[in-house]
Amino acid sequence: MAARRIELMLCSGTGCVAGGSFRIKKALEEEIARRDLQGEVSIVSTGCNGFCGQGPLMVVEPEGILYGWLDPEEIPSLVQEHFLKGRPVKKLMFVPREKKEPVPLLRDIPFFKKQTLTVLRNKGLIDPERIDDYIARDGYVALETVLTSMQPEEVIEQIRKSGLRGRGGAGFPTGVKWKVCRNEPRTPKYIICNCDEGDPGAYMDRSVFESDPQSVIEGQTIAAYAIGASHGYIYVRSEYPLAIKRMQIALQQAREYGLLGENILGSAFSFDLEIREGSGAFVCGEETSLIHSIEGKSPEPRQRPPFPAQVGLWGCPTVINNVETLANVPVIINRGADWFSGIGTETSKGTKIFSLVGKINNTGLIEVPMGMKLREIIYEIGDGIPGNKKFKAVQTGGPSGGCIPASLMDLPIDYESLIQAGSMMGSGGMIVMDEDTCMVDVSKFYIQFTNDESCGKCSTCRDGSAALLEVLTRITNGEGRDGDIEFLEELGKAIKDASMCGLGTSLPNPVLSTIRYFRDEYEAHIKQKRCPAVVCRGIISSPCQYMCPLHTDVPAYLTLIARGQFKEALEVVRRTNPLPIICGRVCMAHCTTKCRSKEGGDAIAVRELKRFLTDWELASGELPESAPFPRKYDEKVAIIGSGPAGLTAAYYLAEKGYAVTVFEKFPVAGGMLALAIPDYRLPKKLLQMEIDVIRDAGVDIKTNSPVEDVGAVFHEGYRAVLIAVGAHKNRKLEIPGEDAEGVIDPLTVLRKVNLGEEVPALGNRVGIIGGGNTAVDAARTALRLGSKEVVIFYRRTRPEMPAIPEDVEAAFEEGVKIEYLVAPTRVVAEHGRLKGVEFIRTKLGEPDASGRKRPVPIEGSEFVVELDSLLPAVSQDTEIPAGFGVEVTKGNAVKVNNETLMTNRDGVFACGDAVTLPTDVTSAMAEARNAAELIHKYLRGEEVKREYALITPSIRVEPIELESEITDTTRPLMPRIPAERRKGNFDEVELGYIKEVAMREAARCLRCDWEVQKMRERAREQEIGVEA
Amino acid sequence: MPKLTLDELRKKREDARKSIYLREGDFTGKITVHLGTCGIAAGARAIVSTFLEELEASGLTNVVLTTSGCAGLCSREPMATVEMLDLPPVKYVELTPEKAKRIFREHIVGSTIVAGYALGIGSETGG
Repeated sequence: MAARRIELMLCSGTGCVAGGSFRIKKALEEEIARRDLQGEVSIVSTGCNGFCGQGPLMVVEPEGILYGWLDPEEIPSLVQEHFLKGRPVKKLMFVPREKKEPVPLLRDIPFFKKQTLTVLRNKGLIDPERIDDYIARDGYVALETVLTSMQPEEVIEQIRKSGLRGRGGAGFPTGVKWKVCRNEPRTPKYIICNCDEGDPGAYMDRSVFESDPQSVIEGQTIAAYAIGASHGYIYVRSEYPLAIKRMQIALQQAREYGLLGENILGSAFSFDLEIREGSGAFVCGEETSLIHSIEGKSPEPRQRPPFPAQVGLWGCPTVINNVETLANVPVIINRGADWFSGIGTETSKGTKIFSLVGKINNTGLIEVPMGMKLREIIYEIGDGIPGNKKFKAVQTGGPSGGCIPASLMDLPIDYESLIQAGSMMGSGGMIVMDEDTCMVDVSKFYIQFTNDESCGKCSTCRDGSAALLEVLTRITNGEGRDGDIEFLEELGKAIKDASMCGLGTSLPNPVLSTIRYFRDEYEAHIKQKRCPAVVCRGIISSPCQYMCPLHTDVPAYLTLIARGQFKEALEVVRRTNPLPIICGRVCMAHCTTKCRSKEGGDAIAVRELKRFLTDWELASGELPESAPFPRKYDEKVAIIGSGPAGLTAAYYLAEKGYAVTVFEKFPVAGGMLALAIPDYRLPKKLLQMEIDVIRDAGVDIKTNSPVEDVGAVFHEGYRAVLIAVGAHKNRKLEIPGEDAEGVIDPLTVLRKVNLGEEVPALGNRVGIIGGGNTAVDAARTALRLGSKEVVIFYRRTRPEMPAIPEDVEAAFEEGVKIEYLVAPTRVVAEHGRLKGVEFIRTKLGEPDASGRKRPVPIEGSEFVVELDSLLPAVSQDTEIPAGFGVEVTKGNAVKVNNETLMTNRDGVFACGDAVTLPTDVTSAMAEARNAAELIHKYLRGEEVKREYALITPSIRVEPIELESEITDTTRPLMPRIPAERRKGNFDEVELGYIKEVAMREAARCLRCDWEVQKMRERAREQEIGVEA
Repeated sequence: MPKLTLDELRKKREDARKSIYLREGDFTGKITVHLGTCGIAAGARAIVSTFLEELEASGLTNVVLTTSGCAGLCSREPMATVEMLDLPPVKYVELTPEKAKRIFREHIVGSTIVAGYALGIGSETGG
């Protein structure tokens, strides 16, 4: 019987029959017949499934999806969606009942536990529009104390002793500022609350106004008493309507109670406040500009000194304090200067509010003691980075601050250490960035902001920011030049030196700090035209084409598939990839790692679609014509190794017109493709077809031809040699006892199976160590050879496994088990024969500097697993014969100059596994294509140097017109033969998409490249227009 | 309103405690919807309306509905805190009108915490 793609295990237990499972069966049969799917889907009636409460039930194999509460009316749509389109129907799937866990205590939740609430003490507890609520929580007690029992000088002394520093960012001691103002003989004096919060991502001050406005009024009133002011202003940006409204209500209520106005609480002290709304110019946050704004002048800064505390508003002594600074004042009066100075670090006292935003799980407003480590804020309070991504940097201090990299995660957050790290406290915005953030793009964003916001008074700030922006824009468009980085640094320093106010003197910080910590990213943009974080639209046309090592034009061929133009689609694939049949099956699909469809759905099934194209071509019989490339040059090139790297380099060298010979030491060509990858993933017949394409192109492949001496090869008349050998040598575990009999090299097992040779007996219980493709293939092969119990032991968890996820799923179906978070410690042997392996459990510990959590052994958690054989598949090395005469690294990889791919021996090049140790198929192919180019230059006497260029679409393909919006965001399941039919044979497991599924899936592509193409076309048209 | 003297302010403080602390007031339940900009943007006004409708429909007179500012965890807004006499205060997150209805009926009327919607119980600062 032919393998059916899908088996439906329909429960026919008493419970389900009573629930109508026969009617379900009938409905399924009818619908399957109607859709002509009899060859694809079969129905099996099973005994009681046990989940009777959910009946009628059906399990769909091989995926193992359980549908419950089935109703005949739902069957047609179920058949269409799941079996025809490959999309399981979520609403019918059985969902396990959510586990009942007790509600945690708020104070046990790290987000709250690690905070110290001082300024935010009333957060969420009081009604901000009711002064009584504030009063009930000890509001205005401090003002009472001050007015009844303290002289102004005593108040200032308390604040000075407490160590309170300005929370607006610069950190000037508040008590000192007050004292200077107090000592000025002139009157009147003014106190201004600065709520002109303008940093992107910062909203601490707004939130204090919104949730506890009276605390600011009380603090400002005390400040007024201390410095001797009778009038004050609240300067708040007009973009904060709710904050303004609540502050207005608060002022009104305070006046009604006599807490503002004449003779407050019966004392001799009189004071009142008014609100001034700023119109949103960023520079107004700078104190002298703010004063000009209140005075009705244009908001430009002026030279200091004199400081506003001496000559301020209307020429009078004026204190300007930030919202948070003032809100701290009542607490200091109530709890004492000593209490306050007991919190924080040597130089930075008390708490600080941060708005924690960006790529962080818990977004919000937090208040923590000064000196808390960045690590605690990011990983405990913030609960880490969403999607298990790497933490890259945190931006503090807004446009005036800088980026602090993950390597400084243990930095205590206080004024001084932030300055030292090249950033600043700023008002408290904390923008968390993950691996998907481009630091050059970030610095461009901030410079764009400050360039917009520069008031224009100083030319260094006005023109300097424009010059920075121009260079940064060029760099992010892939048009950077040598010397750009140095220019940015020099100009940045000049702007800092020569600008007058804080805006100008701090605006280069985002650029300078990112250059300081991420210089390599700038260099990648400038020299290699690459954006490592895959962000800059001027460089990345589409993430898939960019991420593909071969830079295959994915969006173009997906659209051609969606249109049904399969032949044309395959032509696009072949422009950059001579091995599409192979890649459609075993490619790691780098293209999908940054696919934008992943936001809210699955990445497009690119590898599966490429395979569909080759399936279609094989079925159509319309194979592309192949004829040897014409010889153009006399030189002969020798390639050692016939794996993906060797084959690809041979193909492109032949295309250029050279005579190419590939030397392969094994009896078959294909390298790891033929020897390490089992037939169930890549059938030999198909592999051979593609090797034949290379042969037909004029490449001579000699098997059973090991090369030991490169000199001899040159002697035979070859003018250049490419070392493209694979990593065939299994790496040891480096644990005691691993030489015992029964510890078997997995590559040997795979090779013998592939060559049809006799395989060493593995026994019933097989253990595999590792998490890559070799480990998974060794496990699946062991099961096929008849082993009963096969377990993979892996030191991390499933998301970290480097193996192709679809293959791991297939391994599960076949019965492979995986033990996560375990590491082998020793082999237990008896008379030299393996008995078992001792493991230790690991846990994912603190993230290292790269932001990834590393496995840490848990002491005392050792346990022994009895095994008949052990296959260590942690990594592989290459074996480079001494006769090659090339320098090798400690790990026995060939040393090459990365810009030329040439070894220390003239005319000898290397690429693929030989250089990088085990790599994947497409990465090896990409370097091989480069090697072919460099060898060509070498042979033509040109300068041998890698060229870097922008990756652009290879062909213009208009997006398809959709008849209706595609709402389903999941990728179709790959049909596989049922697990029980895979036992004892090496038949290909994946069956491939049918045409309808493929076209529909291809249509789901978002065509990220199109926007960029249109953008470039417009820019070109404009250019032409100007010239004309 | 006449201006307060020191003594009057102190007296007011005592009285005002009754309106914010359940144990000191003469009501048995209090719902606080967090109405910062973040909460409002996430739909907190609809939560206030829902609680108001439920309150009116229930005829309960000893439960107060009030509003407050941002509770800090902006990514989980809209949020509300429900306090019932003899139960620890509960913070509910990511509310919708439907969830608010269920919370009103189960927690306010039925004195049973809706565990699935709750972030945590008790106060933030220990004690």
